[in-house]
Amino acid sequence: MLTRGKKIGIIVSLLLVAGALAYLALGNFGDNLVYFFTPSEVVAFSSEHYDQKVRVGGMVVKGSVKSQSNPVGMTFELTDGAATIPVTFQGIPPDLFKEGQGAVVEGVWTPAKDFHSNMIMAKHSEDYMPIELRRAGVKLPKKDFMKTLVQ
Amino acid sequence: MIVEIGHFAVVTAFVLSVLGIVAPIVGLRTRNADWVRVGRQAVTLIFVLLAVGIASLEYSFLTRDFSVAYVASTSNSKLPLFYTISALWGGHEGSLLLWVFLLSIFSTVAIWLHWRTQPAIMPYLISVESMVMFGFLALIVFLSSPFDRLIPAPLDGKDLNPLLQDPAMTMHPPMLYMGYVGFSIPFAFAMAALFSGRLGEEWIKVTQRWTIFAWMCLTTGILMGGYWAYYELGWGGYWGWDPVENASFMPWLVGTAFLHSVMVQEKRKMFKVWNLFLIIVTFSLSLIGTFLVRSGVLTSVHTFATDPRRGLFILIFLATTMGVAFGTLIVRGAKLKSQIELDSIVSRESIFLFNNLFFLVAAATVFLGTLYPLMIETWKGSKVTVGPPYYNAVFMPIALGLLFLMGVGPYIAWRKASLDNIKKNFLVPLIVAFAATALAFALGFRSPFTIAGAFVVGFVTTTIATDIGKVSAFFARRDRVNVLRGFLTAFTVNQRRYAGMVTHIGVLILVVGIIASTVYKTEKVVSLQIGDDFTIGAYRIKLERVHDVEGPNWSAKEGVFQVFRGDRLLTEMRPQKRIYAASQTPTTESAIYAINMGHVFLTMPEISPDGSVTARGVLNPLILWVWGGGGIMGLGVLLNIFRPRKRDE
Repeated sequence: MLTRGKKIGIIVSLLLVAGALAYLALGNFGDNLVYFFTPSEVVAFSSEHYDQKVRVGGMVVKGSVKSQSNPVGMTFELTDGAATIPVTFQGIPPDLFKEGQGAVVEGVWTPAKDFHSNMIMAKHSEDYMPIELRRAGVKLPKKDFMKTLVQ
Repeated sequence: MIVEIGHFAVVTAFVLSVLGIVAPIVGLRTRNADWVRVGRQAVTLIFVLLAVGIASLEYSFLTRDFSVAYVASTSNSKLPLFYTISALWGGHEGSLLLWVFLLSIFSTVAIWLHWRTQPAIMPYLISVESMVMFGFLALIVFLSSPFDRLIPAPLDGKDLNPLLQDPAMTMHPPMLYMGYVGFSIPFAFAMAALFSGRLGEEWIKVTQRWTIFAWMCLTTGILMGGYWAYYELGWGGYWGWDPVENASFMPWLVGTAFLHSVMVQEKRKMFKVWNLFLIIVTFSLSLIGTFLVRSGVLTSVHTFATDPRRGLFILIFLATTMGVAFGTLIVRGAKLKSQIELDSIVSRESIFLFNNLFFLVAAATVFLGTLYPLMIETWKGSKVTVGPPYYNAVFMPIALGLLFLMGVGPYIAWRKASLDNIKKNFLVPLIVAFAATALAFALGFRSPFTIAGAFVVGFVTTTIATDIGKVSAFFARRDRVNVLRGFLTAFTVNQRRYAGMVTHIGVLILVVGIIASTVYKTEKVVSLQIGDDFTIGAYRIKLERVHDVEGPNWSAKEGVFQVFRGDRLLTEMRPQKRIYAASQTPTTESAIYAINMGHVFLTMPEISPDGSVTARGVLNPLILWVWGGGGIMGLGVLLNIFRPRKRDE
């Protein structure tokens, strides 16, 4: 049988380790969360959001993609129908990245009102829309949306 | 016609699963074993009927019957034979059918295997397994039948997702499901133990091989998924903390905790409630894994079904299963006051306790990280993602801590370790660990990951080596043979322990591979004209030419790159940019050259009309240790499963 002191010792050491691990798991949340926005929200950013890592989802505007070779990358425009932001991207876009389709970009909004990104996520299928965008209640009737881009 | 036979068979199996639930309960009430026998035949018949269902669907795939909606959506007339067979589980409906088919195999084997030796457990086992099958069959029959017809039939199918047309991907889902499903056997035995009140160590001893087999399947499945992501997705990494990857990782973490902590109950009759809790959580997480992947609540690289009714159904099913399981545990668990208590914090029991703590925190971390975005969105309305930096920051200390415990656990005494025992076993390893750290530092490594890794790996390697050396020498002396023969004797005398050591060695190798290929990965993206070259690490890579290649159902531009080290030509690498004909989907096929246990990894993601190409080169040092370590872990498990039976087992 254990003495009282030893029992307390075991419980205290277990709690200490559990506490340290919990702190590890919860304490790291703060800096490593990436929030998701629509282009309209990004345009309305106040200066405290500048240069913070965020994700933006929208449609890639037709005819806006221009590639660069040194360093490898490209520029394009991203829209949610209401607002459009310019994106400067460094790196290689995924296979499914295409003009006129949905994409999510991760990067920072600079004071120069340009979005700098080094990661793009794109998805399958013609009518794909980023799920975050759909959850945000942004409704893009596909044909009308295309019309606005053509005009 | 054939597919209707399959449909009918599956509907019949669904009806029989109700009999499988009810008959054994009636048998218990009326004390009539015939009813239990009825349950056994019902489960066996379910297995036969599901085999008919699978066969009929496979027949429709092979005869290219595109009037079957599922066949039309996941295959195409030009799809190669191999992928036509595996297209069966290339979509939501077929995956579920495979899931429940595997479950019926496991259940049938378990029932017939343990029929004579575990008569008291049998009614509960049959009933619980039937309940799980009932849930999945209901989902298939009512909400996602792969047998539906598409009238009028299309001329050709939509084709299997090109990313899934890959050997590793054909085996990944079945392995993963065998892992998930395999945990249902110890789960059912645990539930049987709870319901029947036979709460001794028996259920753990009987299911030990099942548990470890399920664990091996899950491990293999996860590694295969990583390997697939590595060379097929073309980003040169194997683990991205994607929600779907996380979904399979959570049951693995808790399952690993479970298969360690049962040893404490076997040897010391402690942790009784705890083990029941762990297996319930493991199986629940297997179901949650299926739910997360199949319900479409998560944003992920895997685009799966987004039918909300399916999600709701799985959620209700999950809530029922967990409610019943945890409810019974709470009601019955009170009886299970462990008579023996922990003697000392310096003992093997307490190391196991910390092992469990670490694994559970790891699982909780993944759970939190995966579901946190959903919670935030529900409560605050803002959308958020938790990225790899979070997991990397949390997992590095946890993984190293676990690794350290792996060096301590098997060598510290039960009950209470004396100072003498500790000194004898751990003094030398500690010295080696510090030496390894100093060496790593002297060699110029500065990453904290590498430095801490050197300490832990040095420590664990020495404890394992010392133990094997000592015990081999002992048997060599006893039998007057050489050390190698002594080692073989030691291995066979206590094969369970040393098979475990093999798995531990595999883990060590895996971890070294992960550290090297994560911390010292080099990546370069360049734009090249034909004849241009670029250097990465010690290698110079030159673009020779680009030509066209035709496959069975795709066409590609193939780049021919020559790899030089100094002036010596090492090899030619041929990455491709493919377009799959049916879906017009582009894919990037990587080229891999293995050298010095590492990889030169090359992709050609873009070809401009003006003839210049974009190339991405990645150097992954020691990445073969990741896959090799995984293979050794699997070998350890096989040695464990196929060990000679001892009398008390």
